[in-house]
Amino acid sequence: MYFCMLFGMFTSVKAAATDSVTIVLKNHLFIPAQVDVPAGKKVRLIIDNQDETAEEFDSFDLNREKVLFPKRKSIIYIGPLSVGEYRFFGEFSPNTAQGVVIAKESTDATQ
Amino acid sequence: MTNKLQIQLLLLITLLGAISWGCRADGMVVDKVYHPYVLPFEREVEWRWLSRQTDEGNVLAQRAGLGWAIAETVTVEGYMIGERDQLDNFDLAAYELEARWQMVEQGRYWADWGMLFELEKQHKTSAYEATVGVLFEKEIGKVSLTMNAFAVREWGSEIKNEWESEFRAQLRYRFAPAFQPAIEIYSGEDFVGIGPAVIGLYRFEGQRQLKWEAGFVSEISHSGKDHSFRLALEFEF
Repeated sequence: MYFCMLFGMFTSVKAAATDSVTIVLKNHLFIPAQVDVPAGKKVRLIIDNQDETAEEFDSFDLNREKVLFPKRKSIIYIGPLSVGEYRFFGEFSPNTAQGVVIAKESTDATQ
Repeated sequence: MTNKLQIQLLLLITLLGAISWGCRADGMVVDKVYHPYVLPFEREVEWRWLSRQTDEGNVLAQRAGLGWAIAETVTVEGYMIGERDQLDNFDLAAYELEARWQMVEQGRYWADWGMLFELEKQHKTSAYEATVGVLFEKEIGKVSLTMNAFAVREWGSEIKNEWESEFRAQLRYRFAPAFQPAIEIYSGEDFVGIGPAVIGLYRFEGQRQLKWEAGFVSEISHSGKDHSFRLALEFEF
């Protein structure tokens, strides 16, 4: 579990040309825990909850709250965001299920 | 949802807002600005308190509600509404059943949309009120603009059968979870009011959270005193 957390903490994924990013929720951890997205664009976060229990994605920074049903992919639309960091967490496992969206200038996020 | 449909809904809200500017009726307009979002599994207890001070005196109203999500995008809430009458007796005045429907995924389109349906019955008199409303929210960075437009039908043997409209708007700056300053506008029933508000929330463990709202609204379309102070507490679990 700690390996997964460390893996999630230090791995980042960048938004593809379609501006979609997939995050896996497993063992109450968001993997990757850091995602880079282009600033100024709308982005789809696809969250694949592989756990047996529901989770609730919560982010005041992103102004989003969404229930992530178990064994289901949920889509959260975010942005357009200004350049910066936007933290999110799982309400049911706030100590482990944590992550951050980093909005970067388009060229930085999509390279 | 196509841009064309969204523009049509926005025009509908604007039209109902314009109509409500000149509408006459009998109730209290200052209440709460509704957001077009529903969370599955959400259950809540709610308490609202309103004090309206005019040259004629003070009107006090409170409502207690219990709500729960019955589907992924639909929540229902039942209320008991109490009011203080002219003899200073505070008593049960009405009951209300409300349903809120989140029509689109938040953030997917240019704006977020929802609908509100309400049915209210006065406790001691044959007076009913049915409401259909359009809920709108647009996020612009850390600012959220929320607008509600309601068409209201009143009927009963002890009330004049009539149509009314109401418009509510809230411009909120999401400064911090516990402190989100806002400006609110309420119009309808021969009332146009504007004033500051503050919204906040405190999160407990799990899905439990306490939301609060406080607002002070001054009537601006007539001379004379007409101020409303509102409080709302919502505990989600």
